[in-house]
Amino acid sequence: MGTLLFNLFAIFTVVTAVGVIVCRNTVNGAMCLLLSLVGVAGLFVGLHAYLLAFLLLLVYAGAIVALFLFIIMLLDTKGQDRPRLSGIPVAARVLAVALIGAGVASFIARGRLNSPDLATVPDVGSNLKLYAYQLFTTYLLPVQVLGFLLLIAMLGVIVLSKRFEGMEDVK
Amino acid sequence: MTLEEVRLAAADNLWSAIAPELILASLALVLLVLEMVLPKRHHGLIPDIASAGILGTLLGLFLNWHPVTLGTETFSGLLQHSVTGQVMRAFFLLAALFTCLLARITLARQPMPRVEFYHVLLVVTAAMMLLVQANHFLMLFVALETLTIGLYILVSYLRTTTASLEAGLKYLVMGALSSGLLLFGIVLLYGVTGNPALPLHSGNAMHYEELGLFLTGNPDNFLASLGIVLVLAGVAFKIGAFPFQVWVPDVYQGAPTPVTAFLAVASKGAGFAVLLALCGPQGPFTPYAWLVMPILTAMAGATILFGNIAALTQHNVKRLIGLSGVAHAGFLLLGVVAAAGSPMAVGAVYFYLFAYLLASFAVFGVMAHVAGTDDAGQELDHYAGLSRQSPFLATVLAVGLGSLAGIPPLAGFMGKLFVFIAAFQAGARWLLLIAAAGVVVSIYYYFGWIKAAFFDAWTPPAETTAPAKPAGTPVGWVAGLSLGTLALASIVLGFYQGPLGQWLMLW
Repeated sequence: MGTLLFNLFAIFTVVTAVGVIVCRNTVNGAMCLLLSLVGVAGLFVGLHAYLLAFLLLLVYAGAIVALFLFIIMLLDTKGQDRPRLSGIPVAARVLAVALIGAGVASFIARGRLNSPDLATVPDVGSNLKLYAYQLFTTYLLPVQVLGFLLLIAMLGVIVLSKRFEGMEDVK
Repeated sequence: MTLEEVRLAAADNLWSAIAPELILASLALVLLVLEMVLPKRHHGLIPDIASAGILGTLLGLFLNWHPVTLGTETFSGLLQHSVTGQVMRAFFLLAALFTCLLARITLARQPMPRVEFYHVLLVVTAAMMLLVQANHFLMLFVALETLTIGLYILVSYLRTTTASLEAGLKYLVMGALSSGLLLFGIVLLYGVTGNPALPLHSGNAMHYEELGLFLTGNPDNFLASLGIVLVLAGVAFKIGAFPFQVWVPDVYQGAPTPVTAFLAVASKGAGFAVLLALCGPQGPFTPYAWLVMPILTAMAGATILFGNIAALTQHNVKRLIGLSGVAHAGFLLLGVVAAAGSPMAVGAVYFYLFAYLLASFAVFGVMAHVAGTDDAGQELDHYAGLSRQSPFLATVLAVGLGSLAGIPPLAGFMGKLFVFIAAFQAGARWLLLIAAAGVVVSIYYYFGWIKAAFFDAWTPPAETTAPAKPAGTPVGWVAGLSLGTLALASIVLGFYQGPLGQWLMLW
């Protein structure tokens, strides 16, 4: 059952990932990316990493791809004819294929890792409760600092984009 | 993780240990509240409140110079409190104080909101203070990102001018690239240190000490070396060392003058504090000195040469000070290289930073007064006749530039001398030779600037379409007092280093 699900999700992920590059229409490409991320989330569930699966759906599929879609629709791009291949793009493609080849070769040759005894590895981060404990005890200070980071980022966006009419408005 | 462990971890979060940072952060929030609550005619008070708050924090820091947490780790090892941490806290507070002062002069000429500037400045200062005390890569990265994002905003703050926007965009792209390199390096180190197949592997791989132990046990791991090189590259971007200095001239020119000063002094100081924490005598990268030291040595030599030679041909004073800042980063790197072989090198680097702070803010203070509304277009020609119009500003400028050039008996000379002695003790003879050549070259452009201010150049009798000099700003009493103090401190620190030298363990 587990193997079947793994195979299903793996094929689903790869097929939709290919769709991201192949689709002429950018909106369809973004939707394929979304489906691909859902597939990866399914794989995480198979590994009992429920938190990661949840975060992936919530953050990437929910927020980031939605943002992509917004921007694509704002720019209103249409699928265009393929540009003719020449020079640097060809070299880049050859390099990309070579890198994928090297990756697959190294995976086949050295893909087996000496897995440590899984029982001794602390499952920090896989479990929402443990994750939350860590976040609000050990790593409380970075969380607070990140709060300030988000605050100044928001303020910065307002200051740099708001229209100010003359000096009277700002004094 | 049992509840008992959770309780212990929570008990380690000693918030009183970071009281100065907390005060700055609360002050930043208070400023925003004040903007809402105060009537508009009293909004001029807000910069004063920010400056007073920073001054108060600085005084509090001096009054409680030896807190109970000194020498210990808090926040489950995220932070380590040391004497150098205290020194750098004072450094950043001073830099923020003078930046506030410059901002009052520069921002008064621009149609921009003010309060947000001080808010972001305070948050960035607090982030820097946390950064230099970080003892854990997680804390390091979070603090670094906070300060970098704050600086993106500050650099492009004069968004009505294209120069500032261009600078902001360039800084954003380069900053994102450097953050990416740094993060990739940290991840590689984290991954390899957590690998259970290697000896001395650790579950807490981002902690400096654990990482140092692991690196001692695996002195020639390829992935670890790659991670170290990437982390060094990320930090080199922040300090503007060759070959990662490309962003410096444009960003320094386009940023508002107070932000340029803050970038030059505080951002560089933060970068060097991180570099010393990582590569210094007790740093985690010490077992990889065979890799780190040649890189830093080559970087130091190239940075000194590049900064000084590129600054020779500049006519825009902000570009000039930016490129001379690159050269200063090279001299400071020389101190970091020497830290492996000389006990006084670390103190020498910190002393150099303080001398650089005093001299830079004196020069930037004069620049803020001489400049007009066009903040990016400050040319050397604008300084013609400064000694007649304002002898006070001209004197401060001469002292500041002399200190930057390293003319005895000013503080900058002592800073260079300490670094050079440390380098001599460490046996970095070739680098010392390059550095001496760099100092000689630097005198040319610093004195060209002084010459522009003190000696009248010959002007053609028929007035051509030369750009008119900006009107400048008259010197107020607060600015006058501060600039006078800066110049005086540069002179006094050259003769007498006193308790500062003791704190820095120079002798």
